[in-house]
Amino acid sequence: MAGETVARGFGLGRPGRRASIEVVWTVFKARLRIISRYRGAILLESFIPIFFAGLPIFLGIAVAGSEEQAAQNFFDNTQLAGQGTNEYRLYVLLGSSTFMVVSLMLWLIGYWVRREQETGTLESLYLSPAKRLHILTGVTSYTLVRSLSAFGIALAIGSLVFGVNPLSGNILAALGFLALGLPALWGISFLFGAFVMRIKEANAVIQLVQWILAFLMGVYFPVTMFPPVLRGFAMAFPPTLMNDAVRSTLLNISSIYGPWYVVLALMFMAAWIVPLLGYEAFTVMERRIKRDQGVGQF
Amino acid sequence: MAEPIIRIERLSKTYMSKERKKGAKGKKAVHALKDVSLDIEDGEVFGLLGPNGAGKTTLIKCLTTLLIPTSGRAWVNGYDVLAEEERVRASIGCMLMGDRGLYWKLTGRENLDFFGALYHVPRAPRRKRLQDLIALLKLDDFVDRTVETYSAGQRMIVAFAKSLIHDAPILFLDEPTVTMDVPTARDLRHIVKELHAQGKTILYTTHLMHEAEELCNRVAIIDHGEIIALGTPSDLKSSIAREDVVSLEGVFSDASIGRLRAVQGIRNVAVATESGGRTKLEVLCENSRAILPKIIEAAMGDGATIEFIRSSEPTLEDVFIAKTGRTLSVDTRVLGEREARPRGR
Repeated sequence: MAGETVARGFGLGRPGRRASIEVVWTVFKARLRIISRYRGAILLESFIPIFFAGLPIFLGIAVAGSEEQAAQNFFDNTQLAGQGTNEYRLYVLLGSSTFMVVSLMLWLIGYWVRREQETGTLESLYLSPAKRLHILTGVTSYTLVRSLSAFGIALAIGSLVFGVNPLSGNILAALGFLALGLPALWGISFLFGAFVMRIKEANAVIQLVQWILAFLMGVYFPVTMFPPVLRGFAMAFPPTLMNDAVRSTLLNISSIYGPWYVVLALMFMAAWIVPLLGYEAFTVMERRIKRDQGVGQF
Repeated sequence: MAEPIIRIERLSKTYMSKERKKGAKGKKAVHALKDVSLDIEDGEVFGLLGPNGAGKTTLIKCLTTLLIPTSGRAWVNGYDVLAEEERVRASIGCMLMGDRGLYWKLTGRENLDFFGALYHVPRAPRRKRLQDLIALLKLDDFVDRTVETYSAGQRMIVAFAKSLIHDAPILFLDEPTVTMDVPTARDLRHIVKELHAQGKTILYTTHLMHEAEELCNRVAIIDHGEIIALGTPSDLKSSIAREDVVSLEGVFSDASIGRLRAVQGIRNVAVATESGGRTKLEVLCENSRAILPKIIEAAMGDGATIEFIRSSEPTLEDVFIAKTGRTLSVDTRVLGEREARPRGR
């Protein structure tokens, strides 16, 4: 409520639900517009998972001696994890494409925060009355579209390159699991954004996190192959859950987490808890920065 | 009586600054604001003057909710800057970072539309406002080009337009004319006067004394985090005891100079330069405005001619010197260089 001084209103500003939706849409549109002005960016990054998948596929063949032997070895090892599949090329391609979605979302948020800090636009955003949640929703929606585009293109081109069929499993269920995994990714990206805002560095963190992410997510192999403590840690990591759910559905193999309803319940839980934790961490960090030198310091 | 629209009560801000001296790391408390209290009245143009590092930007950042003060309270447009941040931000238009704060890969028009939406301006009035601003600020020639192609001055004027997009009742303008060319800066000052006439409250920081004198109803001089002078520019100037200097150029006889020296209120008459029969006289007096007719009368006669007269009164710079013993412009430059932070990598 206004007090202590006179109040002269908000000028042309009309806060409300419609204005909030407009903020999300405007931020989303602006991000897409900006990336569209960097020619080829989306198409080029779609090739990353193909190379990322190509490395272990050819390494597997080289070590095993032949494609058949590589497939048999992979079947034997995944059988131990209760997943038994000899479709190692599709297994790795799906893993690296899902990894691309996770990695891009963190990557884009991290770079977004850092770049806005450097160019002064972060301070401009903080000067506006738009809620942080709405701005972040706009940005994460953009990162979602961008990473899902990369996922789709990578999967399509990768399937042609490696001669695999990703459409043999339950596509709708896999897309459902992918969608259900996204809120948790948003939560992690809020956390990551807060961290970048605090340490004022994106490159080194992204480089490190990328490898940790690939390792923990079980991009190339089931994480049940890890020693117990590391396995527990990896399985508690929401992107591992999403990766396994999507992959096991498309490959028609069992999930390392158990029956589908357990996977679904775990994903629902992660979809609620992780975004709340991530946003809370973001706001705590934001207040800490505002108490210190402000968001504009870089 | 005018009512305050911005109220600041005992606001303090202390930063913990990292220090690296001879390899040893440490933290040092920097008191950027010390117990500042101030009321800014509804509809006034209020100037905040001071050298770099004086605390101007910290004060503005606290008022615009970018920083949380260490202690004290402030209200903007009736809203508490700590408890009602979004309402405070909805009430203000800001130009704080010069030409920074724009998206370089978007056009000027797209930037303005983007920030209009972030300030919750509905689509139809936003479009109209955008057109009005383009016309008012003469942006037509470049508004549809991406910002990366703009000159520094063009970026500044679009940043200024951004601060006006939601037509807020209060404006915070931090050195808005820096990097602008002379005609553009003059146009901007003209617009600031128009905005003032429309009833906007404007908090204007500048190190250009003529800008402050031209635009501001009241000014505060801030130094080392404290307000050391506050009042109208004329009150502040008359508050310091200083002699005026009236320069006369022309042809003067010794008798003219003798008559000048006899005028009451004139302390001294110095012959500054003489060349080709022309003389420049520096007349030191107490109140040049009051005794200027007597000076002219005394100087004339005996074939004397006056070709040029200039009276120099105390400036706000003199007020700063009188209060601190330092020059504002020199201080700004030296401190600015010393405290400049490295930008980017």
